[in-house]
Amino acid sequence: MPKLVEKRTVDMQIIGDWVEPRTRVLDLGCGRGTLLGYLAQTKEVAGIGVDLDFHRITACVQRGVTAYQGDMLAFMREFPDRFFDRVICSRTVQELDDPTAVILEALRVGRTLTVGFVNHGFWKNRLATLFRGRKLRNQVYTTEWFESRPANPVTIADFEHFCAAKGIRIARRAHLAGNWRSPRRLCPNLLAGYALYDLTR
Amino acid sequence: MTLALLASAARALCPCRMPDLDDVPAGAPAVADPGSVGVVASRDFVHAAPFTFQSGQSLPGFTLRYETYGELNAARDNAILICHALSGDHHCAGRHATDDRKPGWWDNLIGPGKAVDTRRFFVICSNCLGGCVGSTGPSSVNPATGRPYGIAFPFVTIRDMVRAQKLLLDHLGVATLHAAIGGSMGGMQVLQWGIEYPGFVRRLLAMATTSREGAQAIAFNEVGRQAIMQDPAWNQGDYVREAGPRTGLAIARMMAHITYVSDASMDRKFGRRKKGTANGDAYTFDIQFEVESYLRHQGQSFINRFDANSYLYITRALDQFDLAHAYGSVETAFAPVQAETLVVGFTSDWLFPPEQNRAIVHALLRAGKRATYAELATDLGHDSFLLESEDLYALVRSFLEREAAVLVDFSI
Repeated sequence: MPKLVEKRTVDMQIIGDWVEPRTRVLDLGCGRGTLLGYLAQTKEVAGIGVDLDFHRITACVQRGVTAYQGDMLAFMREFPDRFFDRVICSRTVQELDDPTAVILEALRVGRTLTVGFVNHGFWKNRLATLFRGRKLRNQVYTTEWFESRPANPVTIADFEHFCAAKGIRIARRAHLAGNWRSPRRLCPNLLAGYALYDLTR
Repeated sequence: MTLALLASAARALCPCRMPDLDDVPAGAPAVADPGSVGVVASRDFVHAAPFTFQSGQSLPGFTLRYETYGELNAARDNAILICHALSGDHHCAGRHATDDRKPGWWDNLIGPGKAVDTRRFFVICSNCLGGCVGSTGPSSVNPATGRPYGIAFPFVTIRDMVRAQKLLLDHLGVATLHAAIGGSMGGMQVLQWGIEYPGFVRRLLAMATTSREGAQAIAFNEVGRQAIMQDPAWNQGDYVREAGPRTGLAIARMMAHITYVSDASMDRKFGRRKKGTANGDAYTFDIQFEVESYLRHQGQSFINRFDANSYLYITRALDQFDLAHAYGSVETAFAPVQAETLVVGFTSDWLFPPEQNRAIVHALLRAGKRATYAELATDLGHDSFLLESEDLYALVRSFLEREAAVLVDFSI
């Protein structure tokens, strides 16, 4: 299994552990429906994914995952408060135009919001930027600057500051080492490669 | 052979071509096309018992003309119902004779190995109740008078059309529908199928449609109806078919046709090109632009195949379609649905715009149903659902052919 896929699987397993069986789950930025397909199988969730790309929606349909092609903020506005048991935003926050609006709206339509992101404060990412003086490129971020989607890199320290500033409660967190596998509790903003949070209002 | 090669090369260069149904040159003979269902024949289903319409009016019985492609399997559960749009009919694939100018209206989607694969599915399409291509409608003879019903025909709704289709499927021995598929008015029937017979249909595929005919769409329908009814030859609906309101019906069709395409697609197709026969003088009301000539041709070919009273009845059925009003709310309407739904919208559709297609999926999801929304970026307008697009075919195929069990797959 290639390294990236292995990492992705770890992310999925942790989210899978946090998801309660037979609940209603919304996946923002669902891509090809990998995570929702996994959750449908392991936790029998009723899932719906949102993505912008027609081909990714087709891939979801092929996988048996229901999906919605369109803007995630406009989609969430169509639902009453706490309609979803859990909203998932896995490796999506760094690409949002307006992360505050999306996160607050997700906390309205969802009882819990799970956010997972690559920690740009991880020491290797800091050193790469310091020594190479170039846009971060590694197993996860493989693209050149000129072929990337706009990114808004986030660190663990940034994210926890955001939660405090907005009065969002962090119900659960998982900080993983650079291999995205072993837990990393000490100095996570420097030593953790990946972070997962469960948020509530 | 050379022609066929040229045609396939042209298709490869332009993957998103619209079949121009009233305007295509003679195609290759059906026998040369392995993806075609070949030569097909229509049949008539006669329901000999009284049928009561939603309006409370009734008929002593009715006929539906239909076609089928493929074979019903032993479990009788591989049937797919195709629902046609306002001006469509039951002939959706293959040709009636090898030298037919053009195939059925959805021949690009339906056939052996195509997105709706007739090697795997038993495909059924019927002319709707109230229609004029073999099914009972206002141009049928009223046994009580020996003359066409005209406007004495009962008012028809989308639900009436669906209930009549169900009687046909029962007659054909279909146990459950694998899927119901349709665009525009066909999409309304698909939604109604899921509501009316929830245990009978497993997949709903609705394209370029709405759960509620909006004011703009009603307005267009009304202009078409007025064109017909203001034609003296309409005569309160009492006419013989050859001498009906041909002018009014042609104008109705010309106007409606504009709503099926788009500014961009018309400009690409016609621009401001002048008709070759137009003389140099710009100050006349004779045909000058190609688009005028094209619309007149659309109108003229329509009056030879469609009945004006059917046009009134079917547009009225569209106007009446409002699931929110009929059931209290759209969510209440969708409450009984058991099928999984796929709705496909098209960016340039201004008759049933993407927002109206999205709204169907929002309501289904709010009602706790399984529903997917996909949107194709095209500039061809409402008729985009007839598009020759590999992307659309792949989506339709995935929706129809996916097995119920989901396999473990960690690929990204």
